[in-house]
Amino acid sequence: MDKKESEFLKKIKTKFKIDGKVQRDRRIWISITDDKLIEICKWMKENGFVHLSAISVTDWLKDGNYELTYHLWSYDDKILVTIKTRINRNKPNIESVTPIWEKNAQIHERELHELFGVNFNGNEDLVPLFLENWKGPAPFRKDFDWRDFVRDEFYDKKNEREQVYYD
Amino acid sequence: MVKRSEKAKTMRKIIKAIWIFNWFNSCGFAELVPLVGSRWDMERFGMIIVGTPRHADVLFIAGYQTHKSIERAKRVYEQMAEPRVVIALGSCTMTGGMYWDSYNTIKKLDDYLPVTMYIPGCPPRPEAVFEACEKIFEHVKELE
Amino acid sequence: MIKEMEPAPKGSEYDFYFGPAHPGSGNFGVKLKLEGEVVVSARADPGYLHRGFEKLMEYRTPLQNAVLSDRLCILEPLNWNLIHAEAVDELMGIDIPERAKYIRVIMAELSRIQSHIIWYGVFSKGVGFDTGFKLAFGYRDYIMDLFELITGGRVYPAGYICPGGVRRDFPKDTKKKILKVLDKMNKIIKLEELENPAMNARAKGVGILKLKDAIRLGATGPVIRGSGMNTDVRKEEPYEIYDRLDFEVPIRKEGDAYARYWIGIEEMKQSINIVKQALEELPDGEVIDSSLKKPKLTTKIPEGEVYVRNEISRGEAGIYMVSNGEVSPYRTKVRGPDFLHMIPVLEYLLKGVQIADVPAVYWSLNICPADMDR
Repeated sequence: MDKKESEFLKKIKTKFKIDGKVQRDRRIWISITDDKLIEICKWMKENGFVHLSAISVTDWLKDGNYELTYHLWSYDDKILVTIKTRINRNKPNIESVTPIWEKNAQIHERELHELFGVNFNGNEDLVPLFLENWKGPAPFRKDFDWRDFVRDEFYDKKNEREQVYYD
Repeated sequence: MVKRSEKAKTMRKIIKAIWIFNWFNSCGFAELVPLVGSRWDMERFGMIIVGTPRHADVLFIAGYQTHKSIERAKRVYEQMAEPRVVIALGSCTMTGGMYWDSYNTIKKLDDYLPVTMYIPGCPPRPEAVFEACEKIFEHVKELE
Repeated sequence: MIKEMEPAPKGSEYDFYFGPAHPGSGNFGVKLKLEGEVVVSARADPGYLHRGFEKLMEYRTPLQNAVLSDRLCILEPLNWNLIHAEAVDELMGIDIPERAKYIRVIMAELSRIQSHIIWYGVFSKGVGFDTGFKLAFGYRDYIMDLFELITGGRVYPAGYICPGGVRRDFPKDTKKKILKVLDKMNKIIKLEELENPAMNARAKGVGILKLKDAIRLGATGPVIRGSGMNTDVRKEEPYEIYDRLDFEVPIRKEGDAYARYWIGIEEMKQSINIVKQALEELPDGEVIDSSLKKPKLTTKIPEGEVYVRNEISRGEAGIYMVSNGEVSPYRTKVRGPDFLHMIPVLEYLLKGVQIADVPAVYWSLNICPADMDR
């Protein structure tokens, strides 16, 4: 069952020095440092991984960094490879993968720039996507508590019927 | 003989068949559009969907609104001609509903637009919408 | 002799906002730049329905999230219920009973049929065939009655497909009622198959998407199958019981709006076939895993991360869930197919199209703005 995936993982490990594991059939997870991102992504696209499924950011508040994950799918081999890399949380900067996956990557990066504040070098069109006139912090960060924000802004503590929201 | 104001007399003459403006929000799309279909046919009561706010009598605000879409709804409301009615559907317009802790939705529609009638439910059934329209006709008949 | 019309003079561009208050669009706006009657460029304007779903899920337990997950896209709630339940099942390491797997597939396929009927109705309205719109929404109500019988809600099933299986078993005589409803669906399919002059004139040859552009722009589902690619998540990595069922995947090579519409009709026929097979093989037994039968608010999710892929009626859906041992997931990323269809693919397809053809191209992509904004 896992033979094809283990062979592919060995192929990547001999070419680049990385950590990786096979989670189950059709799932490989690898961790890299952020300076090798563009090189590895170019190699993956040439080896059949033409479909970028999603890009996502996880905010690890205690460790002080953001973890970026790139999920890639190959139509020929039918394997999903996830590339994970970590960057600093206070000054999040990373190279953009738009030269490799073009518009598909560009729209994912635009959304993450708005919601988490990540700066992608090389992506020219990082204007806000969903929000209009938003002046607060990046909304999806872990230090911005939504329940406190909503209680201050919208609900009234003195109103008897809205006491429920303050429990 | 009851003495009625000019406004009440006009409303009694005009609001006999309601023309609804085509503003189907998120949850309204799945529960108001079947009203147009052939099972809950609303044309037999005289209600039709119109494409411009100048022709419409009723604005249905169905479902949650965000800051961006309430601005557009306000502009549509300002363009409607008197007499006009706003009906709010669903529990998200009353207290915030299921998304009460979201930073982008508005919690009480009454702070932004003058609402005539609320219909509870998540989402309300089509029979509830018809009953609401019937109550509006009665309300207009007894207006002073 | 009728003279040919001259094209509009250069420099006479004007802006047109095809926005949410326009009768031809949904909750979504597109800023068009026109020269005469031809679209020069298009820019999408999303965000009318943004609630921040992914962070709302971090404040709630998995059972509460199951109720919230059907509001990700109102037009097909059960399919999103299913993918969220699969993600939590895989994180917790639960193996669900056989009867639950068959019931999940039956409900997901019924939801797919209902979603394609809406696509057919709204596409007909955009093209000008109003009878199709009214009849489609009339026939869809048979399936809504079935949902009310089984799950309790016409539109939102209140988290019927939850982590561990399904909430409750089928009532008596459900199998007979489902078979009766499927016979009625055949009638609307016959109407859709008629060679309709309105559809031929307005949908053939309009909005052509070639295969290499589709792969480059990230299209999935019926949009890329209309351009010739043989791909379906149910065949590539089968989940639940799809590897035991016998069905085909319809493909066309032209890539225009008519090809995508034809694929929608053929997929409805295949879904009817799948439901009939699953109903015949339905085994007896429990419908929910015993550890989650009486859920508590303090059950913790084990540490780990998963990425689950499913085929919903609009394309490929994905959920990436990370947990660090607490009662709520630490991060949930929802990948919807409409995020790619409505922004890069639509902006590319609308270039060079006449303004009267904009609704036909727009509705042929089977969009759902709630899925894009989340």
